[in-house]
Amino acid sequence: MTINSEKETHSEMESSRRNFIFGSVAAAGLTIAPGVMLYQTANARSLSEKTSSKVRWGMLVDTSKDVDWNKCVDACNKEHGLANENHSRDDQKTQYIRVVDVKNKGTGYSMSLPVMCQHCEQPPCVDVCPTGASMKRPDGIVLVDRHRCIGCRYCMMACPYKARSFVHEVLTDQTENTPRGKGCVESCNMCVNRVDNGQLPACVEASQGAIIFGDLNDPQSDISQLLAKHGGKQIRADLKLNPGVHYQGI
Amino acid sequence: MWLHLNFNSYFKSSCLTVAGLALIASFNMVNASENGLGPKITIQESSGESCVLPSEQMRREHPDLLKHDRIQTLREGVRAKADGSKLDGSLKQCVNCHAVKDDADKYVRIDNDQHFCVSCHQYAAVSIDCFQCHRDIPEGSSNFHALSSHKDVNYTNVVPGTYSLTIEDVANIAPEVSSDDN
Repeated sequence: MTINSEKETHSEMESSRRNFIFGSVAAAGLTIAPGVMLYQTANARSLSEKTSSKVRWGMLVDTSKDVDWNKCVDACNKEHGLANENHSRDDQKTQYIRVVDVKNKGTGYSMSLPVMCQHCEQPPCVDVCPTGASMKRPDGIVLVDRHRCIGCRYCMMACPYKARSFVHEVLTDQTENTPRGKGCVESCNMCVNRVDNGQLPACVEASQGAIIFGDLNDPQSDISQLLAKHGGKQIRADLKLNPGVHYQGI
Repeated sequence: MWLHLNFNSYFKSSCLTVAGLALIASFNMVNASENGLGPKITIQESSGESCVLPSEQMRREHPDLLKHDRIQTLREGVRAKADGSKLDGSLKQCVNCHAVKDDADKYVRIDNDQHFCVSCHQYAAVSIDCFQCHRDIPEGSSNFHALSSHKDVNYTNVVPGTYSLTIEDVANIAPEVSSDDN
């Protein structure tokens, strides 16, 4: 009897602690430690649940902000252990984020924007993959299952955003959370390991507020509200792939 | 004809018998003190208190555990069990517990016979390719893989045998890139 009641108190304590954390998160983005931000979670999922299509993760990039996008690339490289190829040519090396400079020759106006995997709703890379390695999670994140990838690079040809890279050489000293190796295609996975654990993607954290991450299906999320208020553009929207990455200022 | 065949098979079987006896004799000589057949392997001690399943089960079932949970984690986004504890088949967790240190107090990499996974798989003649992608030692330990120690090799005019190169040097020679494809 005593043991039972002790157990109950313990579980109550646990649940109230959880409510406290997630309650605060729902109210606003919460900093729990330096560099660790939790995102808004209206359709919160516990770590033991499967992903569901109730959530659609997306990003909103504000290119009008004066941000050094290379900082985002650096953060991405650090998070995923990229830029460790020794023999590949520069155009062969893996890039999850490319910084693209554009210039209007008529007016001379120039700008740069980060282009990563656009996490399409109708991803061509998934359509063409012969083994099912290129996949879209129900929550909208597009990634490569390297256990199934045979390195045919069909997805690289299909992607209109040139978002995918192929690893040409033996890699060593990978990071714990991003296993990657020779013979597989890879691309931005929206830091799926961080997102599943309630953290923001690395580039979002490094962007000083120029990239907003959130749930496009939740009308109350920051990203949805910003998109509803100011609108946004998708790159090559004419292809009707409905990318999850939106841009402002392009 | 019959005689010939008979002689042939008799000859063969006697040869086999002799060979078999010799084999048994050699095992006895090697393991005279160990009461077993074949060489013994040393399983490295792990840092954790107990594994996710009893050792007997782990020996047989660890490939299934790993395969099951890799599908759950990667494709379905499941990162923990229902009670919040870590998944049984997390390779990261395997490596963190079973990492082996050498005499210099550094973690040994996958190309070392002392590595936990290698020590057994080499004995069983099973090649695993997990660590072509997965990290083979715990995170934060930064000693580099032996295979990447080819920075000082001169790549020009290398022909094995005419220059004083070790086998490792030859193995580390990068293929020349001439095509334009990505």
